[in-house]
Amino acid sequence: MLLSFRRDQVDSNAASHNNNMEAELDSFQRQVAEKFTDLNASSSGDDLLSLEWIGKLLDSFLCCQEEFRAIVFNHRSQISASSSPTNRLVSDYFERSIKALDVCNAIRDGVEQIRQWQKLSDIVISALDSRRANVGEGQLRRAKKALVDLAIGMLDEKDSTRLAHRNRSFGRAKDGHNRSMGQHLRSLSWSVSRSWSASKQLQALASNLTTPRQNDVGLAVPVYTMTSVLLFVMWVLVAAIPCQDRGLQVSFFVPRQFRWAAPVMSLHDKIVEESKRRDRKNCCGLLKEIGRIEKSSRVMNELIDSIHFPMSEEKESEVKQRVEELVEVHEALKNGLDPFERKVREVFHRIVRSRTESLDSLC
Amino acid sequence: MEPQEQTHGSSDGDDCSVSGFDSAEKVIMKWDATASEEAREKMIFTDPQEVKLYLHAVDEIQRYVSSSPGEDLESRASSAIQIAMARLEDEFRNILVSHSSPINSDSLMSSSSHAEVEEDNNNNEEEDNNNNQEEETDLLKRTGSSSSSGSATTVRLPTGRGSYSRSTSSIREIELIPIDAVVYLSWIARRMVSAGYLRECIQVYGSVRKSAVDSSFRRLGIEKLSIGDVQRLNWEALEQKIRRWIRAAKVCVRVVFASEKLLCEHVFESVGAVNIHEACFMETVKGPAIQLFNFAEAISISRRSPEKLFKILDLHDALIELLPDIESVFDLKSSDSIRVQAAEILSRLAEAARGILSEFENAVLREPSRVPVPGGTIHPLTRYVMNYISLISEYRPTLVDLIMSKPSRNATDTNAPEMDFSEVENKGPLALHLIWIILILQFNLEGKSKYYRDAALSHLFVMNNVHYIVQKIKGSTELREMIGDLYLRKLTGKFRQAATYYQRAAWVKVLYCLRDEGLRTKGSFASGVSRSALRERFKSFNALFEEVHRVQSQWLVPDSQLREELKISILEKLSPAYRSFLGRFRSHIESGKHPENYIKITVEELETEVLDLFEGLTATQQHQRRRSE
Repeated sequence: MLLSFRRDQVDSNAASHNNNMEAELDSFQRQVAEKFTDLNASSSGDDLLSLEWIGKLLDSFLCCQEEFRAIVFNHRSQISASSSPTNRLVSDYFERSIKALDVCNAIRDGVEQIRQWQKLSDIVISALDSRRANVGEGQLRRAKKALVDLAIGMLDEKDSTRLAHRNRSFGRAKDGHNRSMGQHLRSLSWSVSRSWSASKQLQALASNLTTPRQNDVGLAVPVYTMTSVLLFVMWVLVAAIPCQDRGLQVSFFVPRQFRWAAPVMSLHDKIVEESKRRDRKNCCGLLKEIGRIEKSSRVMNELIDSIHFPMSEEKESEVKQRVEELVEVHEALKNGLDPFERKVREVFHRIVRSRTESLDSLC
Repeated sequence: MEPQEQTHGSSDGDDCSVSGFDSAEKVIMKWDATASEEAREKMIFTDPQEVKLYLHAVDEIQRYVSSSPGEDLESRASSAIQIAMARLEDEFRNILVSHSSPINSDSLMSSSSHAEVEEDNNNNEEEDNNNNQEEETDLLKRTGSSSSSGSATTVRLPTGRGSYSRSTSSIREIELIPIDAVVYLSWIARRMVSAGYLRECIQVYGSVRKSAVDSSFRRLGIEKLSIGDVQRLNWEALEQKIRRWIRAAKVCVRVVFASEKLLCEHVFESVGAVNIHEACFMETVKGPAIQLFNFAEAISISRRSPEKLFKILDLHDALIELLPDIESVFDLKSSDSIRVQAAEILSRLAEAARGILSEFENAVLREPSRVPVPGGTIHPLTRYVMNYISLISEYRPTLVDLIMSKPSRNATDTNAPEMDFSEVENKGPLALHLIWIILILQFNLEGKSKYYRDAALSHLFVMNNVHYIVQKIKGSTELREMIGDLYLRKLTGKFRQAATYYQRAAWVKVLYCLRDEGLRTKGSFASGVSRSALRERFKSFNALFEEVHRVQSQWLVPDSQLREELKISILEKLSPAYRSFLGRFRSHIESGKHPENYIKITVEELETEVLDLFEGLTATQQHQRRRSE
């Protein structure tokens, strides 16, 4: 009697355990779908790929990562048998996550570079600040100098070979040392080695990612989901922020059977669209704010070129207007970059922590 | 002598002041690089006379700008200022560039290269001692807890403490730029800042100095390794890089960064209330500092495996030592992220150390090799574990602070020894871990001993190994102190007990042959001795003894003292037993036929044979020995 009672108990435990697991995995799928549906909804026009929007993307990642971490933790006994397929799946995920860590570090560099542009635009604003004094020729020249440096600095690094030629066409003095050269040299001194490539990292992240079947049991589906989310987030970061050997060619495709596939693929397609737009094709980063700085500074540059002294009132007010636009972008960057950088760092930390925890249970 | 700004207040009247403006403007225009070839080819700051004139001119114009001179002059003035600032910017850059060679490698390496050489010598010595460890560490690798290398190369346990550089023990600023150049730079900086060109100044300064820091980094051997790169390298290569990094990091923080900070302060000291030198400093070193710490971070994140413990502790100690200097060099709000990163790395390294210790314990417990070590000698696992914990005891000062919790035993794991720490209550967690490790080592060894077919050999095995443990503990004051005498006594008792079990198992049958009962025939008062029984006894004794001798000469007790003690202990029982047996019964044999078939050896010969035991001789060696006798 006692024996059969125990067996029943064990069975019902197993059954409820299975139900719990199913519920858990289902809730995870749902959460991912919800997050990305939200992101997709808030991705219209200027919002997509803005600092704020990417920040939201990172927040969503952190939530998904936390849930994934809980799932892995709850299944650690399954995972610890070293030959189990679950073990392989999970350790595979954490191997991939190392690529993501390197991307996060590279993004930190990219943010720093954006800060340099922000500083240059600061010079322009400071030069043309008509509150202090009337904008004279001197100030215009000063602004122009900074704008040229900015334009050179924002060249996609692939264009660097054309730098010298460009330099001359900007009317720079022949002396080899100028601030922009220094800046350009800076972009060559990323904190990563010369052979490091963002696009290769993405490709490695995505390599051999096999889609699980619908009815695959165990952790195959959540691992695939988390990997896809990770890949997507890293892909967006590389798309938006300058980094060495940016390339978006990694093939990213999620079959429709997953609930979250539709919003993710929709976002993916929108971003690919964005990258193909004529004015953004060769830019060094798809971040909206980068585009705005680039545009504002280009317009300002043209405006300055068109000014003859004495400045007409019309021109004066145009200058004022352009400065205000530039101030707006500058402020957005000034306020947004630091929190953004911190978020990227937070992503880094969470991935590390989750990895360490899980690796401990993997042995 | 700095060109003084002249006070306005001359009684010369407007004409002179306007002409003052005119001549100042002229000087500035003369040096407008966009306007004249000559201006492009020469530099002002190579000629002190020109410097004086130029700066005087700039100051003059600047005075006009700030004193609202009326529209016409204002526009000319602001134009002139812009041209002057552009020129000064170029001069500033030029001075910086011509003096920004990377730090003289002599002054970087002088004190550290000595220690480098020392260390390499240490490493060579250790290599000879560690040849045993190849086998031992292969064992742990098989449990799956190894590093990702999977190579068959020897994994050396690292040398003891203090093998990294003792140089650069404190902040030591050096002169990066000659003082007269610094003076020029500060003169220019002052003008640029007061004209509102602060940002340009910082940008130029930062970009040139950052390149210089990058070059110094290259000289120090600091590489741009990604986390992925670090994962892929095998541990031996990483160990070397860690050593190099520790040396380099000390120089970076204490010499390179500290010197840059001082330079910023000197160049911008007279400049203004705003902490410009701080902004310049961060512009210069933020990137390099992050790059520097990225390596340590990558190490702290890497997969854990036992052989990594000591280098990770070295790294941890180096960082702790550097921390006060990091805090002092990076004491600005804007450098928060660097201090934070250093602290994070430290805490991850500590975690890694704890995790590795845990993993080590697991590996020892689960080490699965079943092949019995020939001759019952010391198992490579024993050697490895004891060497490992001796090294742990050398790292006691660090580990005592890191290891906070007692060893835990997975409650569901039935295949592990019980833990009873009630007797060792006043021991710290680290000591408890060491005791636990010895416990699980013993537990594992007991399991391995069961694979010997011969019970006597399995006891010998246990005896040998526990004795080795005891010797190792006694051999290290640190270890002995932590394990404690109570435990030591227990272990001693353990191996003595094993010795007793061995003797019983090995010799009881032999000694049984020499007993009295069963030999005397029942019956009459003058009890006789059954000669046939006696003969059987002698035959059995000879056969058994020969067998024992043959087999157990191949067994091994490596420790010479223990070996001798064991032989003596055997002889203490065997010799008198045989002697008295012979004494009582030899006459009976000798009075019969062919006594030589039954009494094959004398007592002395017996004693000599016993000396062959536990020498680990192979059959051929034994044979050779016999022939030479």
